[in-house]
Amino acid sequence: MSISSETLATTRALALQARRNIIHMAWKSKGPHVGTALSCTDFLGVLYGAVLRLDDWDSRDIFILSKGHGAMSLYGTLAAKGIIDPVLMDLYCQDKGTLPGHLDRFSVKGVEVSAGSLGHGFNVGLGLAHAFKLQGNDRKVYVVIGDGELQEGSIWEGLLFASKLGLDNFTVLLDRNDLQGYGRPSEICSMEPVAAKVDAFGWDVKEVNGHDHAALLEAITAPRRGLPRFIIGRTTKGKGVSFMEDQLVWHYYIVTDEFRQQALEELV
Amino acid sequence: MRNTFCDTIIAELKNRDDIFIISGDAGLGVFDDFSKQRPDRFLNLGVAEQNMLSHAAGMAMAGFKVFVYNIVPFVLYRSFEQVRNDICYQELPVTLIGIGSGLTYAPQGMTHYSIEDLALAQTLPNLRVFSPADPAEARAAAQVCLTADTPCYVRLAKRGEPTLHATPPADVSRPIVMCDGKDVAVVVHGPILAEVLVAAQQFQGNVRVISVPQIAPLDMVSINAAVAGCAQVLVVEEHYSSGGLGTRIAQWRATHTADWQLNLMALPDEFVHVVRTQNGMREHYGLDVPSIAKRIQSLMG
Repeated sequence: MSISSETLATTRALALQARRNIIHMAWKSKGPHVGTALSCTDFLGVLYGAVLRLDDWDSRDIFILSKGHGAMSLYGTLAAKGIIDPVLMDLYCQDKGTLPGHLDRFSVKGVEVSAGSLGHGFNVGLGLAHAFKLQGNDRKVYVVIGDGELQEGSIWEGLLFASKLGLDNFTVLLDRNDLQGYGRPSEICSMEPVAAKVDAFGWDVKEVNGHDHAALLEAITAPRRGLPRFIIGRTTKGKGVSFMEDQLVWHYYIVTDEFRQQALEELV
Repeated sequence: MRNTFCDTIIAELKNRDDIFIISGDAGLGVFDDFSKQRPDRFLNLGVAEQNMLSHAAGMAMAGFKVFVYNIVPFVLYRSFEQVRNDICYQELPVTLIGIGSGLTYAPQGMTHYSIEDLALAQTLPNLRVFSPADPAEARAAAQVCLTADTPCYVRLAKRGEPTLHATPPADVSRPIVMCDGKDVAVVVHGPILAEVLVAAQQFQGNVRVISVPQIAPLDMVSINAAVAGCAQVLVVEEHYSSGGLGTRIAQWRATHTADWQLNLMALPDEFVHVVRTQNGMREHYGLDVPSIAKRIQSLMG
């Protein structure tokens, strides 16, 4: 597929606004997970800007943020896209707000699957994709998982069973930033080679720079061959804010007034 | 009763297209014909319980009425968080068919027993929980599950339980009086109802036996009305003494005024290490017919 510069301008603008929204929510709530949210935001920018079919809501494509602690990334993108009212972000994760720290599908339009415990949304997504196939429906399912999340046994159960079901309507994007809550996945466990492992399970595997919108779009939309797709997006945790990038502490650090100011100056 | 429940679900597939059955590598002899006739409505998702339950939630989200079949530990214990987060928290119409209620599988060992399942199941606010006593109650529970828009859990035995109801129960959400009596009301769920009925025969006219097929939500108002007039209420259950029907009734009794005394016969809250058949276990733990009759006798003063 040829990707137009207009398309990339759209997806990049969406991701930029989402990143600014993330800083806003993290600052307002004085809560954690800002690095996590910034890490996968280009995935969401590409999906919401150029991939997901959302015009007919009843037959829309489904996006699932399985790494539910990245909730700000989803809220920030939904607000930037106009699916939720941006004013809701002011009370994100605070008294009398509507947006909890982890995802609740009954909270707002656009949160499709509740998530927060890792290794759930991926498998729920497989069930959805399977159901759409059985229903003769061409709806598609896109899921984002984290590389810490990849340590969950349930992910490997899903990997083991999905390719048998012919779910070429299912795409998972791995946010491979090599930082989890308390260390680096590559140091904590035998993480690599991820691509070879997943390929051995019978998946259609692609590996790209997870901040390169054109590469992401190409990987997502490449022709299907009857298999579920697993895209490894090489990412940087805290992407877009220099002092947060690839820093373990920004899994939990609080965005103070000063940090907010510095971050927003960079996100332009 | 296991076959009755499953056959009721399978029969309904002739009338509707939204039913899907997932097995976690269990059900040999139960789904053999069906899985061949309707391979598009049956899937063995193997020995991978987390994936199986989340997958069921996803299918339900897309509009399927999903039934997940496995032994109790594998639909409820092993992947409790999938039941909690994916099915119940998200309010999806998935029915968990748990085989091997109570000590059905004795003497296979503790890993296969289901004697604390109600304690767990009752922590999930919107989970409808059934413990049928016989094939008639199992069929009626299946019919509820087929139309319910909430998650359901059904614990079932599979040892050829006899039908105990003279007429099919009209409503399994309410307590059902099996035989009337004026002194002691025995409240029971599950197949141990058969033992209770035999024990009660020795005290004809004095013992009222009440079956409670639906454990949650528990219709305590109807249970209180059903025991009216009896000074002693005895709960008999093949479940730990903590967290089962007896605990729920005790909780209600502690916060309401009632003119009956509550008594409980249940399993001790301990891991089972003794090797016995189900009947041998009931004898060992004092849940056999003579033990139940003796307790009733003592309550009649």
